[in-house]
Amino acid sequence: MSIITNVIATADREARYLNVEELNAVQNFYAAGRDRLRLAATLAANEQRIVEQATQRFWQRCPVTPSNSGNPTFQSSCMRDQSWYVRLVTYAIVLGDIEPIETSGVRGAKEMYASLGVPLTNLVECMRCLKEVALELLALDDAVEVAPYFDYLIQGLKP
Amino acid sequence: MSVYASSGSPVARPQQYHTLPTALISQAEQQDRSLKSTELRALANYFRSGAKRLEVATTIGAHASEIVEAGANRIFYGGSPMAYLDPPFNRDQLPGYTLPPRPFTRSKDGQTLNLNLKLPQYGNPLRGFSQWLQTQLSQDRDPLPDGFRPINISRYGVARMKRSMRDLDWFLRYVTYAIVADDSSILTVNARGLRGVIPEDVTEATIVALREMRWRTLGYFQQDAEAKAMIQEQFDALIAAYQVEKPPVQLRIGVSNQQQGLKLPESYALAATTRPKFVMKPQMAETEKQAVIKAAYRQVFERDITREYGVALTELESRFRSSEFSTKEFIRQLGKSRLYRDLFYEPFTISRVIELAVRHFLGRGLYSLEEFQQYFDVITQGGLSALIDALIGSTEYTDYFGEETVPYLRGLGQEAQECRNWGAQINLFKYSAMARKLPQFVTLFGEYQKPLPNQHPYGAGNDPLEIQFGAIFPDQDQDGGEHPAYYKREHRRILIHCDWQNGNGAHSIWQSVPGSEHRVLKLTSLSHRPHPTADVDLSAPSPTAVIQAAYRQVFGRDLLADQRLTTAESLFKAQQISVREFVRQLAKSRLFRSLFWDSLYVTKAIEYIHRRLLGRPTYGREEMGRYYDIAAKQGFYALVNAIIDSPEYSQTFGENTVPYERMITPRGLEMRLSPQMRATHRAREEERVYEGKWMKAALEHHTSAEYHAHLNGKNGKLTAFDLQQVKGNSDAETVPFTPEKNEVEHPNSQADQIQPAAEPNQPSDPGYVEASVSNQAG
Repeated sequence: MSIITNVIATADREARYLNVEELNAVQNFYAAGRDRLRLAATLAANEQRIVEQATQRFWQRCPVTPSNSGNPTFQSSCMRDQSWYVRLVTYAIVLGDIEPIETSGVRGAKEMYASLGVPLTNLVECMRCLKEVALELLALDDAVEVAPYFDYLIQGLKP
Repeated sequence: MSVYASSGSPVARPQQYHTLPTALISQAEQQDRSLKSTELRALANYFRSGAKRLEVATTIGAHASEIVEAGANRIFYGGSPMAYLDPPFNRDQLPGYTLPPRPFTRSKDGQTLNLNLKLPQYGNPLRGFSQWLQTQLSQDRDPLPDGFRPINISRYGVARMKRSMRDLDWFLRYVTYAIVADDSSILTVNARGLRGVIPEDVTEATIVALREMRWRTLGYFQQDAEAKAMIQEQFDALIAAYQVEKPPVQLRIGVSNQQQGLKLPESYALAATTRPKFVMKPQMAETEKQAVIKAAYRQVFERDITREYGVALTELESRFRSSEFSTKEFIRQLGKSRLYRDLFYEPFTISRVIELAVRHFLGRGLYSLEEFQQYFDVITQGGLSALIDALIGSTEYTDYFGEETVPYLRGLGQEAQECRNWGAQINLFKYSAMARKLPQFVTLFGEYQKPLPNQHPYGAGNDPLEIQFGAIFPDQDQDGGEHPAYYKREHRRILIHCDWQNGNGAHSIWQSVPGSEHRVLKLTSLSHRPHPTADVDLSAPSPTAVIQAAYRQVFGRDLLADQRLTTAESLFKAQQISVREFVRQLAKSRLFRSLFWDSLYVTKAIEYIHRRLLGRPTYGREEMGRYYDIAAKQGFYALVNAIIDSPEYSQTFGENTVPYERMITPRGLEMRLSPQMRATHRAREEERVYEGKWMKAALEHHTSAEYHAHLNGKNGKLTAFDLQQVKGNSDAETVPFTPEKNEVEHPNSQADQIQPAAEPNQPSDPGYVEASVSNQAG
């Protein structure tokens, strides 16, 4: 659900045209759209770098973790998942809504990682590193915009 | 009554209509990639044209009545059609109407944008003659179709007239939505199939009216080509969707006896149209072929394997690219590859292998037990490769995917889903399906064959003893899908107030009984007092105390003065009735009935009453079934009688004991605590959870290393150097020279010196001992 879908669903429920408030919301969504696109594109372009740096930082903080055990499959799947999450965040930024993160990133993820034997505390730490690295890349204004999506992700994965 | 298993259905919410961003992202998500540059450009365009879109939408909104009127005037004559248009019903202030949450608005500079808005007005009689003239004189209106005859309002009837006008208004409203969303799917979803509902003679008129409305709307944007294009596009989409004769339902192909043949309404099918299917063609460009190959990997291996494992099945790929293999053959070879065997055959039981293979090669879950048995035969006789051949060689595969289409998941939107495997199927399509080792379909179908066992109606795995207030609360609810063992009457539990002296059943000195919170009150009649001469007997409770205890047990609290049953009380005090009879009267009182029977659903009511009168929760379906029967056929009073006259009541409480709760477990007691108390209680018990052996071993190393570092006065901060020391690497000397090392000088010897004195229980830490020993060796 992006803001627009939301607004339309609301208006449709009441069988009326979009009202001023909603039009304003949509207007803001459009106006901020280019910014959001730019943010998403920046993150997408730097995905590799973000993931690499975040992994390094993660290993510094949690040296004992499956991905740091020297097993190449663990390592690459850890990095793959990180880039997957960065991608979900870019989707969410474009939509201006947490829905893609929620449906494909958070729901059931904890159970999956638990069954794969990945310690959840480490996973959350990893997401934190990802967030920090990603935010360092951006200017303050942009970081403020992006941070909530990562926060939502971290909250959702907390054990 | 027969009760069978349910498939544990999650709620499905297909996204029925899209906006441009959601449509693009749904596509990108399907293909596991970031947004392409073309898509980014489309989005940028969309955002740039945002102001224009809103302008168009607001203008249409402001002139809604004129536009609708224009459309209506074209097809009706003999009156004012606008008189029949009711303004939308305002439900704002009505009870039960809660406003949905408003979207979060954020404006960067803190200023809201002032859209010059006029809200639509309905039925303004002073709209002028000039407009009529203008309409009549304009040249570019769509011509009336041959033989079209306008409709006479008075002959058409008020009800139908009102409906027509409302529909025209609706059409216009949806057009504005579609313009704001830049996606016509909302029009398609809502307008398609309308033609089947609306009488055929009106259809033509509707289209004429819509064309007229389009013309009228375009008139407001004479000079603006961009706006005109937007309006034109959405109106055209609306008219086209409206003209569709009858929307085809999505039929399931090749229905056999074992499959339920179902139809999927088109509005659902439309939800998935943005997700492309991948078809291989020899004349395609190299990048497109690459996309097809990746789609095949995603389908068969569930992930993009080139990225994860760095494996590319190069030989297969190149033969596929050069059209030596068809897509079907490529999929078959992927299925028979070593990688597939490693990922989806060896880690799983055969049943799960079959379920996963059906997902990978047919894009669905298993339909029925018979189908499973068929494939089970195949895999037991010929192994995995035979199973894959059977799946790919099936007529179903040919029907759906043919030679060149890459298989895709046939989830909601692609096809109607069966209800008997609904929950399992939706789970199977998740990204995490690989992590589930338990076969889901087979267990589910197996459960369908037999009625539910004698478990408590509140669900398998929930201990009925711990049910509070006749209900389970969500955080204690066990997931029934995990097949837990259910509790039965025979299960032995530890009850509260159980100690080595009293054991189960023996009364202790303070009259506390195992499983009960309070003292047991037993009325001893005056004639049987041990010391008949004494005026006051301290060991026996007074009738008043017994009455109070009975109220507390039966109603859960002391009653107010005017609620008490005075007649029964005085009868009891006069020894006309026993405690048991008194309890019966309390339970049959109007108050009890209104508290525990009238307002509750039957299971909860029985649970509550049973607990109040018999002092324990019900066990299992068998017991509940009996009570259901009584409650349904004879009603509340018979239920109370049945409980109080039961042999169990006589044995436990007899005539003179006040019923008491007698099955309280420690956990059940803990759940009666207030949430805050429980939270502190839990925080105290928090403990570390280890994930697997490797983590445990590694953590032990880790903590001992931390300890080691602590000994060396580094506040527990860990360096790579320490880690290597602890792991006992003999090549510790190759570590670059660090200040820490300088500071420590000889960690081994220091540690050895301190070790015995500092902490007496150190030798019990195996990690530490091991580490220091190997260090010495190094």
